[in-house]
Amino acid sequence: MAVKIYTTPSCPYCVMAKKYLDSKNVKYEEIDVSVDRDAAMEMVRKSRQRGVPVLDIDGNIVIGFDKDRIDSLI
Amino acid sequence: MFDAIIIGRGPAGLSASLYTARAKLKTLIIGKNESVLRKAGKIENYFGFSNPVSGEFLLNEGEKQAKRFGVQIIDDEVIAIEKDDFFNVITSNGRYTGKAVLLATGQPQKKIKIENLTEFEGKGVSYCSTCDGFFYNNLKVGVLGFKDFAVHEAIELETYTDNITIYTNGRELELSEKYIEEAKRFKINKKTITKLGGSEFLQRIFFDDGTSEEIDGIFVAYESASSLDFARKLGILVDGNSVVVDRNQQTNLDGLFAAGDCTGGFKQVSTAVGQGTLAGRKMIEYIRSL
Ligand SMILES: Cc1cc2nc3c(=O)[nH]c(=O)nc-3n(C[C@H](O)[C@H](O)[C@H](O)COP(=O)(O)OP(=O)(O)OC[C@H]3O[C@@H](n4cnc5c(N)ncnc54)[C@H](O)[C@@H]3O)c2cc1C
Repeated sequence: MAVKIYTTPSCPYCVMAKKYLDSKNVKYEEIDVSVDRDAAMEMVRKSRQRGVPVLDIDGNIVIGFDKDRIDSLI
Repeated sequence: MFDAIIIGRGPAGLSASLYTARAKLKTLIIGKNESVLRKAGKIENYFGFSNPVSGEFLLNEGEKQAKRFGVQIIDDEVIAIEKDDFFNVITSNGRYTGKAVLLATGQPQKKIKIENLTEFEGKGVSYCSTCDGFFYNNLKVGVLGFKDFAVHEAIELETYTDNITIYTNGRELELSEKYIEEAKRFKINKKTITKLGGSEFLQRIFFDDGTSEEIDGIFVAYESASSLDFARKLGILVDGNSVVVDRNQQTNLDGLFAAGDCTGGFKQVSTAVGQGTLAGRKMIEYIRSL
């Protein structure tokens, strides 16, 4: 399973989403969109919106810390 | 430094304070004098009163009772809560630090209706500058609001851009002295907003005089900050309009509790009092464990 999480440092729900993945032993790649402009554009293109966090779980896009959605994908 | 800071002076907040203060914890209640209970002329279902009592009466007696145990009550509006080692509660007129905080702010009001506001959520419309501000680096953003809360949001957005307008949507600004000064460096637009427009993302804001302006982002900070606004910035879980708490009235953030109408459920004085009581008890345990 390939998991990417797009975050910014000041976003509390990003921290929660990461903690949640940690608690489920899911490995993920974190991308801080505040320092990576290209990744920010990629995130907007994939999720068609500008809020963080965004998770990409095997190509399935989850917007926000949506526990149920994450559960159904991991 | 306070042990317990309680936000809201309705039945939930006042009840919690009775417990924390009687446990000799330094307790501060910050609230506006606007409990919904003040509107209730006749309460007939609250335990212990054989004749109807007014909401006003219950609230006044509750405040007297809290003060008797040494609770400090401040008439002020909370605009932000920040967490570092402790909680910092920022109000219109000051800043207070506490070890534990109780949200007892009542039911969040449905705030504002503007055509397409919900349609552009996440696509230009945001409710959290801390979370999404970055996406508006050097772009033109607006803050929707007319109180200190809106000015506070505008100040937070200055990290990202200096092109900031406060849109009051037809209202006059209602600011405290400190924020009147702060607001001077922002553009203020007082026209009534009719709708938002754009294709995939927000691009324009339209006014009732037929004019419109280009805009990249709008941050909603309308009226006073509610439990939902505090939750978004602190990363507290919500379910619809309600703050999610466990059986101990504890939110998912350690040291932050919630009680009463802001947690949803059966919105009554007795439930608010019951939840406030439990929250007070659990705040005592939490503070003593630090
Ligand atoms: C017309 C009416 C009649 C009712 N009749 C009954 C009845 O007969 N029996 C019954 O049991 N219940 C009744 N209720 C319901 C009852 O009033 C509520 O359930 C109860 O008041 C909830 O208490 P609370 O402490 O959670 O919130 P509230 O009483 O709403 O208090 C919230 C407090 O938070 C403050 N606050 C909010 N935001 C901020 C901020 N940003 N900064 C500072 N302070 C803030 C408010 O000013 C207020 O002091 C009635 C309600 C209404 C409107």
